[in-house]
Amino acid sequence: MGDVLVPQPTGDTREFWEGCREKKLRFQQCEACGHVRWPPSNLCPVCHSFETKWIESSGKGKIHTFTVYHMAFHPAWKDRVPYVTAVVELEEGPRLLTNIVGTPPEELSCDMPVEVVWKEAGEYFVPRFRVVG
Amino acid sequence: MMLRDLKEKYAIVGVGYTPQGKVPSRTALSFHLEACANAITDAGLKKEDIDGIICYRRFSPKLGEPEVTPYLLAQMLGITPVYLTQEANCARTHLFHAMAALEMGLCNYMLISYADNAVSGGRLFIEEDTHGEPPGDLLLYGQMGFTADYAMAAWRAMATFKTGPETWKEIAVAQRKWAALNPRAALGKKPLTYKDYYSSPMVTEPFRLCDACLISDGGRAVVVTSVERARDLKHPVVAIMGLGMAHPSYDVHQSPYLAGPTGAKEAGKQALDMAGISLEDIDACQIYDCFTYTVEITLQDYGFFGPGEGGDWMREVGIGPGGKMPVNTSGGLLAEAYFMGLTPLAEGVMQLMGRCQDRQLGPKTGTKEPEIILVSDNGGVFQSHCCTILRRL
Ligand SMILES: [Zn+2]
Repeated sequence: MGDVLVPQPTGDTREFWEGCREKKLRFQQCEACGHVRWPPSNLCPVCHSFETKWIESSGKGKIHTFTVYHMAFHPAWKDRVPYVTAVVELEEGPRLLTNIVGTPPEELSCDMPVEVVWKEAGEYFVPRFRVVG
Repeated sequence: MMLRDLKEKYAIVGVGYTPQGKVPSRTALSFHLEACANAITDAGLKKEDIDGIICYRRFSPKLGEPEVTPYLLAQMLGITPVYLTQEANCARTHLFHAMAALEMGLCNYMLISYADNAVSGGRLFIEEDTHGEPPGDLLLYGQMGFTADYAMAAWRAMATFKTGPETWKEIAVAQRKWAALNPRAALGKKPLTYKDYYSSPMVTEPFRLCDACLISDGGRAVVVTSVERARDLKHPVVAIMGLGMAHPSYDVHQSPYLAGPTGAKEAGKQALDMAGISLEDIDACQIYDCFTYTVEITLQDYGFFGPGEGGDWMREVGIGPGGKMPVNTSGGLLAEAYFMGLTPLAEGVMQLMGRCQDRQLGPKTGTKEPEIILVSDNGGVFQSHCCTILRRL
């Protein structure tokens, strides 16, 4: 299986992960209507324009929701429970599945402000988030 | 042609069961075949009568078995259908497809089948849980399976309106009481108290193990035909009175409606409109219950109670035996068996036919004798919803 915890870019996510090599959190913005989307695709779901640019996110957002894993469903996560996965809503709009690190799970709640922190994974850095303020 | 014109024009006339729970050394195909053959016999039909088959097909086969394609099913049933389709959207949409094909006159008797050997095959519903992100990216964060995804929705709901374990325990405990009356139910012999609920191990917070549905070996099938034909068959006629569907479609990881309303709101409205009734006319509910919270949000979005009022409503009205609004009378996906939307649908039909023995709604369980039962089915993670209203004619 190899190291499963290293990004495996697809045709749609390659640009995103290229940014992550340099600790840049980037999303697609529609050139026609300005909509910022995630996950990446070739078409704007709002206006159907194919014209897209990549913008860099501030890396700031808030916890939209989260869950605390008390059981692992994959050997790679067996020794890491309890751990927190979350949906973070970035300032630019997109909601990103990620981890919250650095705060005990019982102290977390929805809408807490967070910012991106980077975890090395092979040639890439993976965006995770920590609570700020 | 309007949905309303199809009110009580089609009926479910047979239900096929199989051994269920943990049933080792059986293939998924064998459960499909047994469920289908039993549904045909149950309806009082012969295999030669069946001219349409809808076969669920999405999960990859386990244990090196062949994939149960609809063709394989037809071949092994010895049926050459006029209408044959594979459906990944589960029973929630099967009734629409069945009625459309029957209405077009393509066929007369539609067989709908779901089966799996999920326990024996070790299916954990992780690769079956699909998202916009590539599976490898989800693994980077350790996000795996429906339990976590529904837990995320439930947590957002807890931040939005009054809900949580206090409400969900009512659902888990009531359904376990129903299961105790159902000899087929996997957890029928394991009663659940409120205390047991709270001591159930956390899986993905805020969900405990007993907030989650079962994984089952087995299968379930039903036969659909016209009410006209149903009148000549052996069981009381259970007609499809109302249908509604809505597919908000957003992945839970990006969903703008994480705390509802889910598709249940629109689908419920459509179904009630087609049936020409209101919620007060519903005698019982069979709600797709992949998790306890799914039952709450579905009933809430149908309008049985306002946001956050679910716990109080359930305690006041009563959803277990003796209750005024019985919910999931077989034990449901939580306590009977997991056959997707066919678990609630089959139970709705059997109750209206009056064939549920110890758990039969009516005097036996201190509940109202049912004429109209509402059945729900939800798919993905609140991405797709169908509502079916059944009436005993
Ligand atoms: Zn656009």
